[in-house]
Amino acid sequence: MRASAQPLPRILGQIKPRPRWREARLLAIVAAAILAGSVSLELARHSDETAATAGFSPAEPFHLAVYLGVLVAAHLAQVLTGRRTDQVLLPAVGLLGGISLLLMERLPQDLVVQRFFGAELGLADVQLVWLVLSISIATTLAIVVRSDRWLRLYKYTWAAAGVALLLLTFVLGTEINGQRLTLSFGPISGQPSELLKVILVVFLAGYLSENRSLLVEESTQIGPIAIPPLPYLAPMVAMWAIALGIVVVQRDLGAALLFFAVFLLLLYTATARPGYVVLGVLLFLAGAFVMYQLVSHVQTRVDIWIDPWKDPAVTGYQVIQALYAFARGGLVGSGLGGGIPTTIPAVETDFPFAALGEELGLVGIMAILGLYLVVIERGLRIGAAAGDDFRSLLATGLALVVGVQAFIIAAGNLKLIPLTGITLPFISYGGSSMLVNGIVVGLLLALSDKGVEPPPAPKPPGRLARLTRRGA
Amino acid sequence: MDGFTATIWIVRLLFLALLYLFLFGIARALLRDLSAASREPTTELGRLVVLASPAGEPAPGSTLALDAITTLGRDVNNAIVVDDQFASAQHAVLTFRGRTWYVEDLNSTNGTFVNAQPVDGVVPIGYGDEIQLGQVRFRLERPRR
Repeated sequence: MRASAQPLPRILGQIKPRPRWREARLLAIVAAAILAGSVSLELARHSDETAATAGFSPAEPFHLAVYLGVLVAAHLAQVLTGRRTDQVLLPAVGLLGGISLLLMERLPQDLVVQRFFGAELGLADVQLVWLVLSISIATTLAIVVRSDRWLRLYKYTWAAAGVALLLLTFVLGTEINGQRLTLSFGPISGQPSELLKVILVVFLAGYLSENRSLLVEESTQIGPIAIPPLPYLAPMVAMWAIALGIVVVQRDLGAALLFFAVFLLLLYTATARPGYVVLGVLLFLAGAFVMYQLVSHVQTRVDIWIDPWKDPAVTGYQVIQALYAFARGGLVGSGLGGGIPTTIPAVETDFPFAALGEELGLVGIMAILGLYLVVIERGLRIGAAAGDDFRSLLATGLALVVGVQAFIIAAGNLKLIPLTGITLPFISYGGSSMLVNGIVVGLLLALSDKGVEPPPAPKPPGRLARLTRRGA
Repeated sequence: MDGFTATIWIVRLLFLALLYLFLFGIARALLRDLSAASREPTTELGRLVVLASPAGEPAPGSTLALDAITTLGRDVNNAIVVDDQFASAQHAVLTFRGRTWYVEDLNSTNGTFVNAQPVDGVVPIGYGDEIQLGQVRFRLERPRR
């Protein structure tokens, strides 16, 4: 018996502009903050001149104008199309992006040089391009996506595409700094593991929402303790194996940690059974121990973490310089342009948090962590208000991906956990990361829209579920 | 400290202050949301949306709020009266236990179906699942906030 008479999908209707005052107000503060940061950066560049010859002007006014213009355009586009999406997410992400732009303007421009049609673009120019593209993607998705069928129905296709992407990177990837992460086709190159995290969340949301009641209900008795059902642990073991594979083949500790953490968090969100988390953490500890024994790359990272001063000139150099940077920053930092963040190798991709810690101080990085907290809070709120389990888990997962990634790299910078080379979302330099985070924000905005199509009627449970459902 | 240094530090601290002003603005928005949400009582645990009902009782397309124990059937003493010739007097009962909804078939003549699977005993159901009694189909949805 298939559902024949679904409720009619809401017809798009005429497009009616709808004001978004809260977003407008928050964006005004964002613009003022970025402007103030930019002026302070420009002043710092003139600090070697005698006194007040330098007037008040923002650094790189063109960059600033383009970036603020794009934020306003994103706001206006949603106002004009009358979308009732979340109004806090765009300003929060916009402020993180603005901080990123300020940081990239502040770093030496020759860290990254790319040539497009004869024009030579420096670090801040390229980052501005990625930021603009990222916000455009987010806005486009927020406006265009009116239904989640293309994600919901093809979850196994998405998963297969993700695995294919992973295998392709295993085989064809180029090795950079001992990590096989980058996939290049001619002039285009990217890091598939960034995209993979979104695909993983889509698949997990689909799989868990379909099998939720089974995972909640069933349990296996071993002696006196009831553990979660063994057949349904297969995906967990598979996920664990994939994470270990990423560590061994790609040597990408960050992505492996991110994937496994997000998987466990979503499993817990879907089932509310702490048993899964305990089992997952035990698996993680076992895997981490074996990897530490077998893989030299892991061993190096952990040894640096335990004692970077054992080899301060070579392996520990980066971490030690980051710690010094935080120390130099103190409470309110040295001000934008006042520090020496270039002493840290790979500061624009792996250590932007340390650079910001130096120049904005403890006060500044607390604010940045607060911004990530806002992004997570919005995602969880969107998930709690969503119409059904799939949307709920999808929104939760997308927010957690951003949050967990920010935690992993910020904690790595602070030597709280071993350093892993993943990007700080919305702040690190990098195209793949920016674009994928744009997709994440766009999907969250689309999921938060109160006017989207209602969830489709459920399908009969899968064959496995039918066979094992008790008493059926 | 000369004038230039003072100026640059004022701008720098202004930047940091604006970051916190932004966070403060968001915190205020959140508190307003929360107080608005707490003003309207949400004792609702879930809702049933009527997808199909040939006899018109319950009306197709209508939304029914659910109590923790909601009985369904043709008898007028049920919480939700299902006027359908294939429905039994006491047909099924929906119960909310802890954090999940369960449906139980009360030995009805024609059975209760969840997502087109016959219900035997007590079966957990999730939001978005479809329940069928006779020719009447419902979908369980989250309570509106």
